[in-house]
Amino acid sequence: MRTVALAISLVVTAVASVPAQRPLGSIRGRVDIRRAVAPAERRPGVADLGTAAPRDLPDTRRAVVYLESAPSPAFDELAAGHALMDQHNETFYPHVLAVTVGTVVDFPNSDSTYHNVFSLSKAKRFDLGRYAKGKSKSVVFDKPGVVRVFCDIHSHMSAFVLVFNHPFFATTDTDGRYRIDNLPPGTYSVAAWHEGSTRETRPITVPPQGGPVDLDFTLQ
Amino acid sequence: MLFKVLGAVLLCASATVASAQTLPAEPVSLGDGRVVVSGDASVSVAPEDTGFFNYGDYEHSMLREFRLGLSVAVRATDRISILGQIRSENMDTPEPYALYARLRPFVHHRFDVQIGRIPPTFGRFPRLAYGRDNILIGYPLAYQYLTSLRADALPASVDELLRMRGRGWLANYSVGNLAADRGVPLVNALNWDTGVEASTGWKWLDVSAAVTNGTVSRPLVSDDNAGKQFAGRAMVHFSPALSVGASYARGAFVSRRVLAALELPSDRSFVQEAAGLDVGYEAGHLSIQAEAIGSSWDVPMRATGTIVALQSGSISVQGRYAISPGIYAAVRAEHLTFNRVTGSSGPVSWDAPVSRVEVGGGYYLQRNLIARMSVQFNDRDGGRVSSARLVAAQLLFWF
Repeated sequence: MRTVALAISLVVTAVASVPAQRPLGSIRGRVDIRRAVAPAERRPGVADLGTAAPRDLPDTRRAVVYLESAPSPAFDELAAGHALMDQHNETFYPHVLAVTVGTVVDFPNSDSTYHNVFSLSKAKRFDLGRYAKGKSKSVVFDKPGVVRVFCDIHSHMSAFVLVFNHPFFATTDTDGRYRIDNLPPGTYSVAAWHEGSTRETRPITVPPQGGPVDLDFTLQ
Repeated sequence: MLFKVLGAVLLCASATVASAQTLPAEPVSLGDGRVVVSGDASVSVAPEDTGFFNYGDYEHSMLREFRLGLSVAVRATDRISILGQIRSENMDTPEPYALYARLRPFVHHRFDVQIGRIPPTFGRFPRLAYGRDNILIGYPLAYQYLTSLRADALPASVDELLRMRGRGWLANYSVGNLAADRGVPLVNALNWDTGVEASTGWKWLDVSAAVTNGTVSRPLVSDDNAGKQFAGRAMVHFSPALSVGASYARGAFVSRRVLAALELPSDRSFVQEAAGLDVGYEAGHLSIQAEAIGSSWDVPMRATGTIVALQSGSISVQGRYAISPGIYAAVRAEHLTFNRVTGSSGPVSWDAPVSRVEVGGGYYLQRNLIARMSVQFNDRDGGRVSSARLVAAQLLFWF
């Protein structure tokens, strides 16, 4: 099976380089999240001698929309990017970060307490150890997949890094809107992801003349 | 479409997440976060501890137990919370180990009052005792090892005391409760005392003080003597990496039952006094804690009509190093010593000094599921069994 898939992929890729000048399109729309996702609470600090300091709550309304399959040029060469996930008031900012393979993500600590960022996800296992305010450590995300990020000290802190091997993805804004640009004409399978799972996958066609195509999602 | 390749873009998101985290990891939250419930379960297995080195306050070895715990926090208002914990060891009937109200009179001021069965004020380890915070399977000697001293039964003489040397797991004396029972540790980290505690803090300093029914060795729900314990703790944060704490406690120890047997007034008190100093350093993948504790108990001896000061001291150093993501190594070295008292055969330490080294490590099967293994080397200068090497394994899950 692998051999067959590889052969198809090689043929398709070879054809793919021909129509480079064709107009490009885009997919845009809104993701309506109708399921409530409560941020993780602190575990009851029964052994603590007092109330824990107030913290920020993560923005769990963000979704990521992406192409499940991508045009072949998308795989040619991905420029290694740089991104940032801050730790402030015992919360990761942003709560969801979507990057391409090879991206270096910085994890600065902006709190006065220690943090210890780590992940045990298959796509990237790392443990940055404990470091103080003002310091930052980095991780190169070199494999596609979903990386769940945690703090070893504050168990209520968590975030997601979604790593793609193509650039056709977008994180929704505060209003749930997204836009994926520079798509060659074709039919695609578009997925909407939210808080750990792909909630909906829909087919869509970008017409030969290019231009924007609307695609909304409703996640129950 | 010719432009498409069948390249995998995302490894199926749900499957990836599922593989990283298949068991519930977050506490259960109800009523918009007003009620939060968390839990932990652990199974520890080890060969039989014939020397009773790891017997705690529960009449069983800490290395051989199935433990379930459930913690609850109910935020009634911004100023009032109720916190509780129930635990069950080896499928015994679950019992409440903590139940108290936490009051914050000034919402924006770091000042809390806790009333009820409250967490220990004394020492650093009690806040590291639960679940994943304990780096090894065993507990530090000072917080677990049972000395031969009891509060509800006392020896009539030094010789009677010395006969129980190294037998804290089952000591019996002729004054007070005549039934054989376990002795007390220097500081009991597993049972919590009942009383009132106040704490406050600034960026670099945490301070707390408590008045409780029992003592650090013997926390109580209902007082069984005339005196209360006063305990205090201060911790200075020199940097996020380095903190130093000091603790002190003093309270009536001997029970009314013993006082009655000695024909002493019930308001007479014989005290336990304890002081501790602890240091914690953590940076990068390394964390180290060291703690020294000294304790003294005033014990009346019926035979001579004198009061003997029984003293004990402990020192413990432990460290944890994360070798790679999800794998760590840990070690704890400690010693427990006792002062000498003079019996008919000359001066002897009133209980048998104990040394322990525990070396082990843990592997995170997932974030909240840890497999641990350790080897413990125990040596005691007395008792029926004077040394024991114990290999233990543990599986711990928490949410």
